[in-house]
Amino acid sequence: MMERKDRVEEILESLWIITVEGQKDKSDFALLRDDEAIKDLIKMGYVFIKENQLGLTEAGKIEAQKCIRRHRLAERLMTDVFVEKSKLIHETSCKFEHLLHKDLEKSICTLLGHPKTCPHGKPIPPGSCCRGASKEYLKKIIMPLAELEIKKKGKVAYLQTGNRDVLQKMIAMGVLPKTEILLLQKFPSYVIQVGKSQFAIDKEMASQIYVRQV
Amino acid sequence: MQFEKNHDGPIEHSLEIALEKIEGLLYDKYPLSRRAVGLLLLQEDHEIHEMVKESQPTIIDHIEKIISGVKAHYAYPIEYEIALRRRDEVERIINRVVKVAKEEAQGIAEKVSALMMNPIAGFPLLFLILYFGLYKFVGVFGAGTVVGYIEETYDSHLNPLLVKIFSSFIPWRIVQDLLVGEYGILTLGLRYAVALILPIVTFFFLVFSVIEDTGYLPRLAMLIDRTFKKIGLSGRAVIPMVLGFGCATMATLVTRTLPTKRERLIATMLLALAVPCSAQLGVILALLGGHPKAMVLWAGIIMMVFLFIGFLTAKVLPGERPSFYIEIPPLRMPHLGNIFTKTYVRVKWYFMEILPLFLLASVLIWLGKLTRLFDFLIFLFTKPVTMIGLPKEAAKAFLFGFFRRDYGAAGLYDLHKNGLLTGDQLLVACVALTLFLPCIAQFLMNLRQRGWKTGVGISLFTLFISFAIAFMVNLALNKLGISL
Amino acid sequence: MKQTRFEQRNNPLSSAVPENTEGTHDRPKKIVIIGNPNVGKSVLFNNLTNNYVTVSNYPGTSVEVTSGFADIKGERFEVIDTPGMYSLTPITEEERVGRKILIQGRPDIVLHVVDAKNLERMLAFTLQLIEAGLPVILVLNIMDEAQKEGIKIDFTLLEKLVAVPVVGTISTTKKGMDILKERIVGYAIRKKS
Repeated sequence: MMERKDRVEEILESLWIITVEGQKDKSDFALLRDDEAIKDLIKMGYVFIKENQLGLTEAGKIEAQKCIRRHRLAERLMTDVFVEKSKLIHETSCKFEHLLHKDLEKSICTLLGHPKTCPHGKPIPPGSCCRGASKEYLKKIIMPLAELEIKKKGKVAYLQTGNRDVLQKMIAMGVLPKTEILLLQKFPSYVIQVGKSQFAIDKEMASQIYVRQV
Repeated sequence: MQFEKNHDGPIEHSLEIALEKIEGLLYDKYPLSRRAVGLLLLQEDHEIHEMVKESQPTIIDHIEKIISGVKAHYAYPIEYEIALRRRDEVERIINRVVKVAKEEAQGIAEKVSALMMNPIAGFPLLFLILYFGLYKFVGVFGAGTVVGYIEETYDSHLNPLLVKIFSSFIPWRIVQDLLVGEYGILTLGLRYAVALILPIVTFFFLVFSVIEDTGYLPRLAMLIDRTFKKIGLSGRAVIPMVLGFGCATMATLVTRTLPTKRERLIATMLLALAVPCSAQLGVILALLGGHPKAMVLWAGIIMMVFLFIGFLTAKVLPGERPSFYIEIPPLRMPHLGNIFTKTYVRVKWYFMEILPLFLLASVLIWLGKLTRLFDFLIFLFTKPVTMIGLPKEAAKAFLFGFFRRDYGAAGLYDLHKNGLLTGDQLLVACVALTLFLPCIAQFLMNLRQRGWKTGVGISLFTLFISFAIAFMVNLALNKLGISL
Repeated sequence: MKQTRFEQRNNPLSSAVPENTEGTHDRPKKIVIIGNPNVGKSVLFNNLTNNYVTVSNYPGTSVEVTSGFADIKGERFEVIDTPGMYSLTPITEEERVGRKILIQGRPDIVLHVVDAKNLERMLAFTLQLIEAGLPVILVLNIMDEAQKEGIKIDFTLLEKLVAVPVVGTISTTKKGMDILKERIVGYAIRKKS
């Protein structure tokens, strides 16, 4: 049986996904009417009921965003660092996110190189660590290729691009997850070695390939 | 010989189901297997989609529904998912079939390659290549031949002979003029084209083919990408640009390899404005041969114009920054067969496509003179020409320079030889002539490749810029009291 | 049976006899050479063909295609060299033309030429071509560079796994060309039966 606190977070996240990311304005809460967690949420000022629909208040939206961020960061952590198979990701990250307390979340975000999307492609709301330079002393485990040191190798973790043309070029180069890339040069352009082939790419493309240093 | 029966490529659950559904709908008379067509359809391949739509219009909607269903299941585009699975399949085979003995030490080729791509060594190396390949080989040889032939125009024995022959055979002055007159097809047109331009251009293509075959060009692209990004192009544009030093018309044709319309436009414009083709280079070098300071200044000015105008154009034209990626093949010794074939194909193209236009230019000049149109145009040119500090006789050279660069330069050379042009004026004239309108062949190619509105627009633009820059150069020389 | 748009176009690059006369073995068999740029396709092309070679524009484009004829063991083949291709999904205009030639031309043999030391990267395309039902012979070219890198390839096992003929060549020295020619003829005969 899930704890009340966890349940509160679950509902906030669902509401976020429906209202902020989805199309509908409010959510039908007929099923949840008697849920204790709903009462908590109303008391905390995060949620309101109007015409049998549940909605997020402004304060609720902020809180929900934080929950979503933790959840998706946890998913990223599972996939990229622990390289877990898809089935396990969801279960484990659900439990994990509730344990992620504020500062820990910032550290993990930095370690992962401030990822922009979760493994399913949904956006991760940025945190203060993404904007500022805090916690930079933490050595990143996962970083964009552009930040790798010269003569170092990186194993591709994932590709961060919405552009299909760029994706096609990466596929043509053989740059896919698990591929090993050796960074030869950064200036004037990035030169990488994939297998026995060498390619020159620009900084933009190099920033879209997230690697794990080996 | 019996081979083992192969499985179809492994594709995961959802994709496989969707694929099977699509395969079931397709008929089997396509040139590719149903599975391949299905996979391409799933990747939303436009051409294949059209192919199926035309042959089996009834099933297209159903297929599109299946595709959107599958897309919802995956975060990444389908081609990515497919690529991942194929890669895994490949890995299974490679692991069993390929063994790498050891990490070999770097050979000479790798060391030279690293040197070429290192910016500290790479740029000087580039200048060396340009110096020897372009200047020495093409320029000095070209200039030498050019000087030889221009001299011959005024001193030759052959011309008077031709004139004599044709005057006796052909009674009409007009036709005589066309064939053996001052700018006659035989006396000047054909002779320059075949004995002057063609050798220079052939030498350029030879050098280019050698450089191309070694695999140097992608390395150059890599060095120059940052700079090119500032003028709205990517490193890949280096190929048409370098080719432009051979023949800017051919280079304009090659701009089609650039991915976006914006890049193609900027490249075409820069080729028309500031990239001197080998014919032009030969004659400019002949003109400036005796004035090394002027030559260096000329090169510097042209390069600055190239970068500056490119930069402005990139700012003005809307569009995305081009992305850059290029494969860098290993450096290889150029293969003689390749060099021969590549040079031959290019020279043949030049001979068939460009030279006839030069002959056409001679005919147009003749017509222009006949109809007095030329006199009128020369009159129009006189004012701008004097404004940039040149004697009014130079107007004729410029007008002819549109039709044939070599005519324009020959005219200037003549003026200079007769003491009518000072060193300063020579520089100004060369700058103006280089930046001037694209030659008739390039003009026509621009119309064809970019549309007539853009083609004419580029021409007017270069016309304006060339005189504007020449004006400024003249002003600067006067104000600074420089005498070349 | 309704013909697809690809079949209906009259491609001057195909042989003199139009495509839709099925079952005709009078026209020379067609070999199409496919592969990345930089794998030595053109040298291989030159090795196969005699001196009469034409470079023409693919209709409707400014992309150049080289074609010629090869006489192998008394049989005449038409050989077409395509612009570089990385996969069946074209990125550039050149690649689009390459694919059109594959699809429209109904080749009897497809030589997929790859750089032997980059087999890992290029094999995906080979598999794609085989999956598409095309008659593929895999040519591992530039074997000398692969050997220098210390790469050893088990040809027999590879051939077994991909189920198409696999030949190793060094196009610059013409090494392996004889075997390749044999496999071409052998393949052509098998397809006939």
